[in-house]
Amino acid sequence: MGNVSFGSSVWVEAALLSNTYYMGPPSLGGQVKLGLNSMKMTVKREISRALSLAAPGLLVSALLAGCATPPPKTDTADYQAYQQQNDPLEPTNRVFYTVNDKLDTYAMKPVAQGYVDITTQPIRDHVGNFITNIGEPARWANFMLEGKPTDAGTAFVRFLVNSTIGIGGIFDPAASLGYPETDTDFGMTLAIWGIPAGPYLYLPVFGPSGARDVWNLPVEYFATPMKIAPASGALTDFSYAETGLHLVNTRAAYIGPIDQVKATALDPYATFRSLYRQSRDSELQLINERDTPVPNPWAHE
Amino acid sequence: MYLRRLLLGALAFAPVVAAMPSFAQAALVPADAAKAFITQSGQQLVSVVNSGASTSQKADELRQLVNNIVAVDQVGDYVLGRYLNVASADQHAQFLSLFHQLLSYNITFQIKAYQGLNFVVNGVKPMGNDMVVDTTITSPGKAPADVGWAVDEVDGQPKIVDVIVAGTSLRITTRNDYASVVTDNGGQVSALLKAMQTQITKIAAAQ
Repeated sequence: MGNVSFGSSVWVEAALLSNTYYMGPPSLGGQVKLGLNSMKMTVKREISRALSLAAPGLLVSALLAGCATPPPKTDTADYQAYQQQNDPLEPTNRVFYTVNDKLDTYAMKPVAQGYVDITTQPIRDHVGNFITNIGEPARWANFMLEGKPTDAGTAFVRFLVNSTIGIGGIFDPAASLGYPETDTDFGMTLAIWGIPAGPYLYLPVFGPSGARDVWNLPVEYFATPMKIAPASGALTDFSYAETGLHLVNTRAAYIGPIDQVKATALDPYATFRSLYRQSRDSELQLINERDTPVPNPWAHE
Repeated sequence: MYLRRLLLGALAFAPVVAAMPSFAQAALVPADAAKAFITQSGQQLVSVVNSGASTSQKADELRQLVNNIVAVDQVGDYVLGRYLNVASADQHAQFLSLFHQLLSYNITFQIKAYQGLNFVVNGVKPMGNDMVVDTTITSPGKAPADVGWAVDEVDGQPKIVDVIVAGTSLRITTRNDYASVVTDNGGQVSALLKAMQTQITKIAAAQ
């Protein structure tokens, strides 16, 4: 898990994986329990479908419910600050922040804490490597769309090396060979295509996002090897287990930073908003930095 | 007509443009000096954290260290941002005093969880008006953290003006945090001071 930023993106990570919510109970020892019966699966699939259908409706009603009142344009300094903040849906966003915060306090964090208690840092690192590796094909595709050939090549080599020498991605030998992980997603692709970040959005369950980054959700849903491979019961189980493990492992990595923000920030909502935006900006910067142009061998002097 | 206006405009701004690079260069601390300063500060930090002293004693020593190596007043003014012009002289002084306390509390909160701290200085690169020294902080049972320290010259001495973790700047984050409190309370700086005071009382009660 290369890019550990202050907690703000945990819920985003969750969002990326949100086929459904399956988390192994902490008593499973963080191990993946495969083999749910198909009955349970169907029910879960139905629930997740219902949720995904309900989400846009919820969102629209929420959008209509609460908008921030902009300060008068004559008050230039305040108006500029409002523009810069770019959070016209703040009242609604804050409601969802409170909901997610409760969800985190009573569900995600205790599970993550239990997971930390029964695992060691090296185990969590290997889990992180494994999950990162599964994401490499999607990263490769996004880098291609972004027109970043070097980054795309790196993602390709990483997937190849780590899936084989790295034993299915549990180890990350590619990084020591000079191919470090560079994160990207469809939101970054849109950014590179020149689409501005747009107003800030705080989504129920998924967390910090924005008018541009929210498009990452539907794309990421279909962009894992598990979705592309032919459907099978075992693969679906694996996908659920991987989703749960990803959620817990990521939340575990952020226990310290999130506690820190909650304990020290005067306004945690605004702090997470700032951290989310900075972390997206820095991700974009890193994509550009790492994609050093390859000299054109056919170029005339 | 248009061209003349453009030329006149350009002429009017020429001194500003000319002054800018020299201003930027004057503020930059030499790379070696910044690196040496962070190495030394890191050693002091490690010796305090890893010492056998009690938690409260460590907290006191950390507070002292922070005041020595961090340009707290300058960071405070940066964090207050545009409200620096709104605040009265009294409010400004009160803000800085509260900011000193909160910063020490926050740093102590972060550091006290570490034991067997190890601090490695990697490289140094200029960023804006500051020199950023990249370090890796490790402690047993925790994932290593890459932390960048922005160093600037204050009163002829190198001082820490920002902490950067995974591309996020502590002073920008704090500025946005505090600005949100002020805007939510109709642009009143007094609301920020009150929130800071409440926070200090809360932390003091928890310790």
